[in-house]
Amino acid sequence: MPLRCASVGIVLFAVAASVEMRAGAQTPAATIQQGKQLFDGMCARCHGIDGTGDEGPGLNRATLTRAGTDEALREVIRDGIPDRGMPRVRRLTENEIDQLAAYVRSLGRTSATATSGNADRGRALYEQRGCASCHIVNGQGVSFGPDLTEIGMSRGAAYLRQSLLGPAEALPRGSSPVPGRGFTEYLPVRVVTADGKEVRGVRINEDPFTIQVRDTANRFHSFRKSEAREIEKEFGKSLMPSFRGRLADAEVNDLVAYLSSLRGDK
Amino acid sequence: MRTALLIALGLAIVAADTAAQVPYDRIVRADSTPSDWLTYSGNYQSQRFSALTQINRDNVARLKPAWIYQVRRTGIVETSPIVADGVMYITEPPSTVTALDVHTGRPLWTYTPKIPPDVIVIGSPPVNRGVAILNDTVFVGTVHGHLIALDGKSGAVRWDITVDDNRFGYYVTSAPLALDGRIIIGVSGAEAGIRGFLDAYDPKTGKRVWRTHTIPAPGEPGSETWNGDAWKTGGGSAWLTGSYDPVLNLVYWGTGNPGPDWNGDLRPGDNLYTCSLLALSPVDGKIKWHFQFTPHDIHDWDANEIPVLFDAAIDGRPRKLVAMANRNAFYYVLDRETGEFLSATPYAKQTWAERIDAKGKPIRRPGTGPSTEGTLVFPNIQGASNWPSPSYSPQAKLFYQAAREMGTYFYKGEPSYKAGEAFVAGGGRAVNGDDAWGAVRALDATTGKLKWEFKLLTPPMSGVLSTAGGLVFGGTDEGNFFALDADTGKPLWDLQLGGAIRANPMAFAVDGKQYVAIAAGYSLFVFGLP
Repeated sequence: MPLRCASVGIVLFAVAASVEMRAGAQTPAATIQQGKQLFDGMCARCHGIDGTGDEGPGLNRATLTRAGTDEALREVIRDGIPDRGMPRVRRLTENEIDQLAAYVRSLGRTSATATSGNADRGRALYEQRGCASCHIVNGQGVSFGPDLTEIGMSRGAAYLRQSLLGPAEALPRGSSPVPGRGFTEYLPVRVVTADGKEVRGVRINEDPFTIQVRDTANRFHSFRKSEAREIEKEFGKSLMPSFRGRLADAEVNDLVAYLSSLRGDK
Repeated sequence: MRTALLIALGLAIVAADTAAQVPYDRIVRADSTPSDWLTYSGNYQSQRFSALTQINRDNVARLKPAWIYQVRRTGIVETSPIVADGVMYITEPPSTVTALDVHTGRPLWTYTPKIPPDVIVIGSPPVNRGVAILNDTVFVGTVHGHLIALDGKSGAVRWDITVDDNRFGYYVTSAPLALDGRIIIGVSGAEAGIRGFLDAYDPKTGKRVWRTHTIPAPGEPGSETWNGDAWKTGGGSAWLTGSYDPVLNLVYWGTGNPGPDWNGDLRPGDNLYTCSLLALSPVDGKIKWHFQFTPHDIHDWDANEIPVLFDAAIDGRPRKLVAMANRNAFYYVLDRETGEFLSATPYAKQTWAERIDAKGKPIRRPGTGPSTEGTLVFPNIQGASNWPSPSYSPQAKLFYQAAREMGTYFYKGEPSYKAGEAFVAGGGRAVNGDDAWGAVRALDATTGKLKWEFKLLTPPMSGVLSTAGGLVFGGTDEGNFFALDADTGKPLWDLQLGGAIRANPMAFAVDGKQYVAIAAGYSLFVFGLP
């Protein structure tokens, strides 16, 4: 059963240099070690071991936009960012928050894994490869797949790489209000109607009695389950093509660099 | 002159008594007046069954909304309406009471207590699940820990008392239970490290008649299941309305988790009477028997589910029974005279117990406790069931339960008590979305054996109602309100209400017409045949 990140969708701390990090008083190594233990248990599934990023953004940076100040960092750890998919996993004591904050800050003092690609070359590849026929960046493109305008704020490089090479294993979950609550988004479905017509597309929403689908031509369909001949939810598949073997490693790096640079600013 | 005045006063008193809308005798006989819905679960046995037959399997497909009432303040509407003599009494979040004309849905009065802005509600959203009615008075518990008696005709306050100090996290969300000369109310607050209790109040004066703590003090029976001072913050809330057997004169009430929730290191032992069912005398609150479903709970599996009373033969012998589909995923049947354990059957996926032994005690699977790195266990924190009501049909002899199929990664944290703050020591991450689901299940009430199920996309937080029309009504988090065939589970009707259903359905009749009511989103919907 796929349990990857469950309710944990996206975005924790976004990346954008703004506030200079203040390390504050010397933090005892023991506090950091305890923070790591908590982090590995609760946070690493989305933010990656050592905070290198995955479905959630990397945290091994000197500056974290949503957590520029220590108080902001403590707040994010304490309350989560529920509307962006980061849950409050559990209630933490002040001491535990101290430990987690100290650990997260320590990640920024290690050398960040640099994205080796070139964002400008990545942008050219994005255009050449027709990504805009399914994705929107800054209002331009087609809305069949996810809007990528701010994708660099919500996903780590490892996840973006996975999305290019094995998109079926990287479908986002519960990061948008519809269908919500940890549901797989852009889940491929195949519906055969009572009169034998087949519709293939992605699930938009669902309840026990009905399912809403957007087909590959980006048209909405609504089906009553009891009236359909067949409804197949194709878990483990994606309608996005895999670029494994179709792009050179360097090209993948360039595309990842470009996508990582997309932060909502033109 | 003086005599005349006394006579006049006497007459007035008599007149007031005869004008009493809902005396105790009427609630005891609730089954014989299905047009009304006089107590939280429909009758004292908490069966949530309607004997009305006008809406039935043959015509339910034509069910239409009759009226809709929208609440004044947004919040989760978990109310379970009461209907008496043409008036419906509902609650709105957080602790407002509103009386509605059942013909039209037009408000007759509304009352909102003064809730301080710094009210402490830890452990649930600030909700209310309904009122109790007795004679001409409506009773409501509030999130600031009060119990308030309102005049049923106007909403005027008859009395307003503090159940306990909200600064320590005591609050009330459940409907009180109105008995003969007693208003029974339990508190919420185990997540703030309260010491739980159940109270009885004089309906006329609001004076407390008794208080029974769910956590014994040193020296009291059960105190040997606690260590040191842990009992002082031991939890054991009594946050959902219980049941009553008028013949045995016993109240049945579930109790919640021990505090802190997910780290039991500070409280070695069984932690009585947490996660238990108590049978108490309404006269003095004395505990006649107890049964603990989950000793030393570390998963937050409160036993605050509805205890359903019914009589049936077991092994050829007629028994007075109480059944509970517990949050820990087992369906329990007990003898309600003695508390004797009769059976426990899983009704949803569970991974924490090898089995339940002959005395009803679970044999835990090793390695299923919360941990720093998270331990995946089924059912999830909110459980295979929760406060939403089950239903028992005396006709079909089936127990209908909206079951939740979901796991949680349970995390263990460090305990740290501070008055009025969360005392939970951990938490969980739900395995939700496409990895979770639910079902309405029909269980043989005496054995717990599955008769049928109707699958739901997500774990439900809606109760169910069964009717003599051969129907089971239920709701979904996606907003579907639906009717199933009570014998087969086949869906017969459904409607999208546009907001999550986190409430219990009920039925009533007025002017010879049957209606079914349910809250969804920020509204209360009432349905009837056109």
